[in-house]
Amino acid sequence: MRLSKSASDDRWHVRPDGVGKVTGELKYLTDMRLPGMLHGKVLRSPHPHAWILSIRTEKASRLPGVHAVITHEDVPGMNRFGIAFPDQPALCEDRVRYVGDAVAAVAAETEELAEYALGLIEVDYEPLPVIDSPEAGLDPAAPKLHPAGNVLHRTNYKRGDAEEAFSRCAYVVEGTYETPRQMHTYLETEGGLFVPEPHGRLTIYSATQHGFKDRMQLSRILGMPEACIRVVSSPIGGSFGGKDELNVQPYGALLALKSGKPVKMHNTRKESVRAGIKRHPMKIRMKTGIDGEGRIIAHQVRITADTGAYATLGAPVLNFATEHASGPYRIGHVDIEGISVYTNNGVSGEFRGFGGNQVVFAMEGQMDRLAEAAGIDPWQLRHINLRGMGDPGPFAQRIVQTDGARQVWASVAECALWSNRHDRSGRPEEPWLRIGTGAAITMHGAGLGFGIPDPAGGTLRLTADGKIQAAFGYEEFGQGLLASLELMLKDLFCCAAGDLEIVIGDTDRVPHSGSSTASRATSMMWMALQRMKGPFKSRLLGKASELTGLPAERLETGPGGVYEKGGEGPLVTYKEVAAACGEPLSTHTEFHYPTTPDAIMGAHYLYTYAAVCVKVMVNLLTGRVKVLDQYHAVAAGPVINPQGYLGQIEGGSVMALGFTLTEDALMDGGQYVTKNLDTYLIPTLSDIHERFELHAIEELPEGDSFGPRGVGEVGSVALAPAIVSAIHDATGVRIAKLPVSPEKLQRHFARILAGEGEEAS
Amino acid sequence: MAQPGLIYWKSEVNGVETVLSVSPSLRLIDLLRDKLELTGPKLSCGIGRCGACMVLLDGKPVNACLVMAYQCSGKRITTVEGISGQELHPIQQAFLTEGGFQCGYCTPGMIVTLKALLDENPSPSRGELEAGLCGNLCRCTGYGGIERAVRQFVKARSGTEPTTSGELAAGMDAH
Repeated sequence: MRLSKSASDDRWHVRPDGVGKVTGELKYLTDMRLPGMLHGKVLRSPHPHAWILSIRTEKASRLPGVHAVITHEDVPGMNRFGIAFPDQPALCEDRVRYVGDAVAAVAAETEELAEYALGLIEVDYEPLPVIDSPEAGLDPAAPKLHPAGNVLHRTNYKRGDAEEAFSRCAYVVEGTYETPRQMHTYLETEGGLFVPEPHGRLTIYSATQHGFKDRMQLSRILGMPEACIRVVSSPIGGSFGGKDELNVQPYGALLALKSGKPVKMHNTRKESVRAGIKRHPMKIRMKTGIDGEGRIIAHQVRITADTGAYATLGAPVLNFATEHASGPYRIGHVDIEGISVYTNNGVSGEFRGFGGNQVVFAMEGQMDRLAEAAGIDPWQLRHINLRGMGDPGPFAQRIVQTDGARQVWASVAECALWSNRHDRSGRPEEPWLRIGTGAAITMHGAGLGFGIPDPAGGTLRLTADGKIQAAFGYEEFGQGLLASLELMLKDLFCCAAGDLEIVIGDTDRVPHSGSSTASRATSMMWMALQRMKGPFKSRLLGKASELTGLPAERLETGPGGVYEKGGEGPLVTYKEVAAACGEPLSTHTEFHYPTTPDAIMGAHYLYTYAAVCVKVMVNLLTGRVKVLDQYHAVAAGPVINPQGYLGQIEGGSVMALGFTLTEDALMDGGQYVTKNLDTYLIPTLSDIHERFELHAIEELPEGDSFGPRGVGEVGSVALAPAIVSAIHDATGVRIAKLPVSPEKLQRHFARILAGEGEEAS
Repeated sequence: MAQPGLIYWKSEVNGVETVLSVSPSLRLIDLLRDKLELTGPKLSCGIGRCGACMVLLDGKPVNACLVMAYQCSGKRITTVEGISGQELHPIQQAFLTEGGFQCGYCTPGMIVTLKALLDENPSPSRGELEAGLCGNLCRCTGYGGIERAVRQFVKARSGTEPTTSGELAAGMDAH
């Protein structure tokens, strides 16, 4: 279906959290305050790399109005965090490794006082040589940033004999692709409220994509049982992967416990830039060869990722990049190596697309270069090589089959934008404006992958006041999870929105159901409800049968209560059913995200497919590129929430537009050059064009039991290669480094305008 | 009587006369969020670039992070909380029905800016809309839902439907 409001009928749904958002009434966790609360601030390193010789906090501690000053000596438990590999100090002991590293923190009666107190903390540093690139980190003479050296992780995947196969290729292309340090730029910066409770408990109101994981890590840091910590983690003003890792939570928690008072923290944007994680910059070398028929027979990939000062999810991101570096293609001989290197450049971590964006940009660039070398239409070359139903996954693992690859390919092949790409009518007359069209395709794995605990679950209850309550451990960070869940529950029970109570984002009230990440939450909620609907309905209708004297088979759930099938008005209300139950009626499920049966670390089982076609206008005088039209095809199974689905693909694509054209958190010698939103430019309304079409392909093979696939990430993956392909179509210039530099384009264009031909590298 | 170093601050905030004793260098955003607990205006970049803190000062949109308390004493201040009356303002309604928000953190600033823009110019061209919203960033929607909301609002108010390349698109230029 062409996804739009008019095509969605009543499934186009006003979000349950909508009114609070448009009126400003909704309290985000950073909006909360309590009487007598203190303000927390963190002292961060001025050096990207240095020894800490001494820390003196006496002057700050003596300042009236300062209630707590903490250093590493105040960390009662394990002074390390990290979602996958805990190597980041909450508060540094003897060494700082990036300019966001925390050395001390203060809680004071006002924000200004806390800031002033930070200035009274004396730290003696001895600067160390700065490793400002992965290449520098790999130099045998480089200082070691961590005990095991500067290599966080290596990957290696081989199939066949690529070296030998290259000798049989009719065409071989080689390219080196570079991608930027993209920043999540969630509008709500990190923060929250940290409240000491009676009986030694601590309540944390702070954004995260996985409340239970935060609770586990905080329990280790604070040396407190997990049961003593409550994490309330929704609503969130955007995350995109950027708030999955702990950020202010260790400081807020430690300060609250030390001062015995509620502590509010809210990072400034500058501090958020300095301390926050970014998308891994990657340098990707690819050598790819095809035979005379256009079949890819050899593919060699070398990926170097700058993981920054600490691990976070650097290893899984590299695994994901390695898995997706062959695109959705059948290739006989593959040789991929990846390396993720520690540097003093900030910290890289999880970001929408999870390493797929970088390598798909490279792979699709290779496809265009091969097509040109062989004189084959680029979309046709993809078709020749596209994986089909029954083909294994990129690591030759068994995967859940769909026809997604061919469906999205065909959708673009047939769309007007691609079909009319050679039509010259309507083109601008100005000789310095050029129009071009490009397209790209991707497959994108969902879930955490083989070998990683990826639990899911949920609970359904009938509450005493007659609400059908659904409790899940997921978070609403804007993606529309609440709206999707409400739609699914209304579908299941044919009830009214008012009959529902949705509970998420509170570790005291929800079951463990895994992280809201990896495009998994919608799938997991759907699968959990499939498991729970039978038992829950049968008990509910059984109880209603006792109350009405009618057999359960003749009853059904509806708005307000239980009906006789086809009858008007409920025979008993949900509240009456609840009152008649001795014990609260509830059903719970726990299961694991579906994984491939083949034991390959990180390999995925469920994939979504997407293809994008774009039309761009390039200004040869300014080097500026404007996207004029976009067509997206996404094969992700049934559309649960059309507004959310469309919003995720539109939003993901505009985020990718920034990745392609403007966004780079520039660093120089380990210091951020780009510190705020005046120099870090994300797209505005004027950067987008109103023409945007989304074809959502809902058909799944018969018997598919996995239902809707997530679309949180896939809209952000294939746009960059489509845009650079369109720039080439318009100007003959091939781009291999993102963001596309207008200055560099101008230099190429100067030659074109001088009539020296259009071919350039 | 204001304490030493503080100023006597009196303004009409969302239609209510409000009197405070505050530091003159207090930013309006902090005054609203911390002193008056009006947390609709959001703080994001702090340098007037993102528009999340936008409020109306005597009907004109301003970044509340760039205005000091002393600069707005005696003026009429409207935050997103003051935009709707008994019912939602039609712009808010359009945001709801068209999906003009996701995480919602930019939404108050976006709605405040649009209120001022559309009050002044009921039928903006695409170029005028681009200029009007150039100081409001949204990271979630990609602006698609926001643009549909504006379109729907304009249509409902004028009773005419702007064509796809009509009113809102008329300002498109080749930059």
